[in-house]
Order: sequence, then C-alpha cells, then structure tokens
Amino acid sequence: MAPRAIHWLMLSPAQLLLVVFIFVPSLYVAWLSLHSASFGKPTVFVGIANYLSLLTDAYFWRAFWNTFVIVNLVVYIELLLGLGMALLFASGVPWTRLMLALVIAPYAISEVVAVTIWRTMFEPDAGLVNYFLALASIPAIQWSSNVSHAFGVVILLAVWHHLPFTFLILYTARLAIPKEIYEAAAIDGATRWQQFRRLTFGLLIPAMLVALMFRYIFAFRIFSEVWLLTQGGPARATEVLSVFLYKSAFSYNALGMAAATGWMMLLLSLLIALYYLRLAYRRMFAPEAA
Amino acid sequence: MKPGLSIKAGKLLLLALVLAWSLFPILLIVTASFKPATIIFDIPPKWLFAPTLDNYRLLIDQWPDFWRCLKNSLIITIGATALTVLSSSLAGYVYSRHRGTAMAGSAFFMVVVRMFPPIVITLPLFPVVNWLRINDTHLLLILLYATFFVSLSTWIVKAGIDQLPVELEEAAAIDGASLPQVLRLVVLPLIAPTLIASGVFVFVFAWNEFLFAFIFTTTSAKTAPLLISEMMGSATGVDWGVVFAAATIQLLPILLFVMLAQKYLVAGLTAGAVKN
Repeated sequence: MAPRAIHWLMLSPAQLLLVVFIFVPSLYVAWLSLHSASFGKPTVFVGIANYLSLLTDAYFWRAFWNTFVIVNLVVYIELLLGLGMALLFASGVPWTRLMLALVIAPYAISEVVAVTIWRTMFEPDAGLVNYFLALASIPAIQWSSNVSHAFGVVILLAVWHHLPFTFLILYTARLAIPKEIYEAAAIDGATRWQQFRRLTFGLLIPAMLVALMFRYIFAFRIFSEVWLLTQGGPARATEVLSVFLYKSAFSYNALGMAAATGWMMLLLSLLIALYYLRLAYRRMFAPEAA
Repeated sequence: MKPGLSIKAGKLLLLALVLAWSLFPILLIVTASFKPATIIFDIPPKWLFAPTLDNYRLLIDQWPDFWRCLKNSLIITIGATALTVLSSSLAGYVYSRHRGTAMAGSAFFMVVVRMFPPIVITLPLFPVVNWLRINDTHLLLILLYATFFVSLSTWIVKAGIDQLPVELEEAAAIDGASLPQVLRLVVLPLIAPTLIASGVFVFVFAWNEFLFAFIFTTTSAKTAPLLISEMMGSATGVDWGVVFAAATIQLLPILLFVMLAQKYLVAGLTAGAVKN
C-alpha cells in the first residue's frame, strides 16, 4: 500500500519531536562550533579554531582519555558479568520469574539515588567498604582525593546500574537458542565446554554486539555519576567529556569550545554505532556466518 | 555427595551472590532510612533495631518542597509516557503497514538521531528555551523525555502490529470504518500489551532522569531526583537520614513498577515479541 498524506501526518508527531529537539539543535551546534560564542554576546566566525584549541587543551585530552578508560572498562565488565548471569539463569534457577524481577532491581534506581547509595558505602570514614578493607588490612578507598579510587567507584556504580540491561539482552538471546542443537551436540559427544565454546558463544555473538553497541553509546555520554560524585574534581582530574562540555558551556561560558566538544561526541557516537551495526550485519547476513 | 548435587549447590551459591549484588545496596539505604540518627552510620550496620519514622518526619519538616517535586516528577512522567505512546502508536502503525524508500529513510533517521548524546542539544536549546519562556516547565521536560524514547517505542509498536493480520483492518475498512476508527477500535485494543511495553522504558527514564532536569528546571518544575541531589550537596551539612528517607520514597514505587512490568521490559528489549 502506498502511503497517503494521512500516513505522513501520522508520522509527523514522532518525527517532529526528533527534528525539533535533536536534529536542528545538532546542526546549530555544528554551526556554533565554528564560531566564537558565549551566552549573551554576538558570535564571530572563527573557522576550525575551536577544534584546534580543543586539540591542544590538556583538560580536553584528560577528559577524553578518562572517558575512554571508563567506558571500555564498564562495557566489558558488564558484558562478562552479564554473560555469566545469563548462562546461570538459562541453566535453570528456582522461581525464575521472581529471581529475574529481583536482579533487574538496579535498573529502577535513579542515577542520583545510585550515587547516594554507593557514596554511602564508600564513605572514607564511615563507609561499609572501608570497614571491611580495614579488617583485611587493606588501605582505605579515598575517592574524594584519589583519582583512580574515584574512577573505581564510578565504574562499579555504572556496572551495577546497567548490568540488568546487558543481562536481559543476553538472557533472552540465550533462551532463543533451540534445545535440539545441544541435544544433537551431546549425542555427537561434545563436552560441556565444547558446547559453550562452539555453540552458545558463537550463537550469542549477535546479541553481544547489540549489547556492546548500546552500552558503548550510552556509557560514552556518562555525566551524572561523575558530576554527582566528584564534579570532575579534584583539580579537574576526573572530568569526562560530558562534564568537560557542561563546564565549558555553563561555568566558563565558552560556548564555541563546548559546541566543538559536543559535535565531536556526536560524531564518535555515530562511528561507534556504524561500526557495530556493520559487524552485526556481516555476522547475521554473510553467507559463511561465524 | 553426588556430582549433580554439588553443581546444584554451586549454582545456588552463585545465585545468592547475584541477588546480594543487586539488592544489598538498595536494602542498605532503605533500612538506614528507618534508623535513629544515633546508629545510622554504625559499623558493622545494625540489622536489628527499633524502626523509627524520625527521618521521614524531618523530611516533611525541613524539605516541604520534596512533595511538590515528587508531584512534578509524577506529572512529567505521566505526560512523557502518554506523549511517547501516542506519537509512536501512530508512527509504528504507518511503519508496519507501509513500505518504500521514503519510509525506510525516515525510519533510519529516527534510529540514528536517537544516538546523539543528549548533553549536546542542551547547548542550543538553553537560550531558545529561555527566549520562549518554557524554561522550568513541565511541558519542556515532557517533550524532551518523549523525544529520546519515541524511536524505541515506535520500533516496539511496529513489531507488535507486524504480528496482527492485516485482514482485520481490511474487513473494518470495507464496513466503512475510517482510518482513525480502524486504529482506535481494531488495531490499538488488540495490541494493548505492546503499547504497555512501548511505555515502560520512558516511564522509568522520566521518573529518574537527572541531566535535563538539572539544566532546564530551577524551581516550579523541579523533579524529585534533582531535589535529592541538592539535599546531598547542602552547604549546611548533609543530614543523611533525611536523604535516605527521600531516596526511599523516590525509589520504592518505581522499583515495584519495574518488577511488575518485567515481562514488558523483556519484550521491549527483544523488539516487541509480546503476546498480544
């Protein structure tokens, strides 16, 4: 059926939201990134000067590498734990539905509350974690002064918060693998390890790519966790790209720089998405799959 | 002990670990919110104590704003969910029933645009929103939250309608039903579970969201998460018992909602295979 005018009309509310609130603003950000601008002042065209000064800005590079390290650790730790949980649940657990409802609980928690919780547990003087570390004679975690400790808490918190998402994607994909395949493999004498390596793992690769792609794109914009825990401090050492952007725009009033950062983040997000979509597409549609 | 038995015991142990990891942090602050101030930071934490509502009383006394912010959160959440479900039902129907290059192009646009980082658009929106005087309003947050979930919801609705036989609609059309009637009386009632699945994600997101609320609200549309973050950053010293009480009130309803809506979350993540 060819679409008629009424069909385009039906698409318009959804499309309008995206055009008005994401697409046009993004183009404006691209334009802004080529200008020297601050709130309340006229803009001056400066070409790629904003990008050049970003590339020579030590704080930008620190934020970039911080984001890079955090995102990769978070995403792969989640994938590993999510896969383990998915296999555990797929092998059969008592009261499956109830257990599922319980383990996805962190998904319901707001970032603000999640930070409250983990901050309390890691409080240098009165926190539970340092109490147990002290019992084991391990020096206390000082996230408010030690940069790598702060990242440790941010990573742990992000993994905790988003693990249900990765887990659910892998678990549902695992359930979709027909039992008969395993029965046939068992008859052919495949050990459990061989079954996992040759069957489960290979068949879960498309789901793992989907989970990786979404988690990369969403982890990449990490803001609240860092902002609420350290505000990027001490001495801007724990800034990630979103925090760098926010501060450039709203604290230092350097809109052009913020826009250049934003446009770079946008391009990086798209690159990540295209990379994984291509991989997934090849895996799923290539004649000689896996 | 038989080998089968030890595997079973090992599995139960792992399950217990996973449960502890997921639930312990939440239980910790929920229980702490009922503790008297004197033992709230006792280490190791006391699990047996006479529960008190002191923290909740203090919350009511010191933060009268909290209830208003909670109400804002509720209004914005319901508004954003309604707008998302409505606009994505219309779009999802069209994408399910019509093909073509222009259709495929606009569907691709929906997915790609949604990948853009939200913080990027706050830059240009900030001055525009001030100029339009919709800063700090429920409407702005409703529109923004719906924007970022309309793609996923459309996708879910489309997958749900794909499973409906088109003959039903054709029969209704022959009987003289207009397209809006077909949608309202035939299609949408039949995919009610799918519509729920298309709403749960934005519902949870809108109730919990921080970044947009932080940038675009100051007083009249301030949401509960934002107020909690302000309580934590209070210059006069943080009263953790009160923060825990507020956090508990903010998280319990949505936690219950997520647990009950589990089936729909799973269905949504697997692109809409809900039994209609």
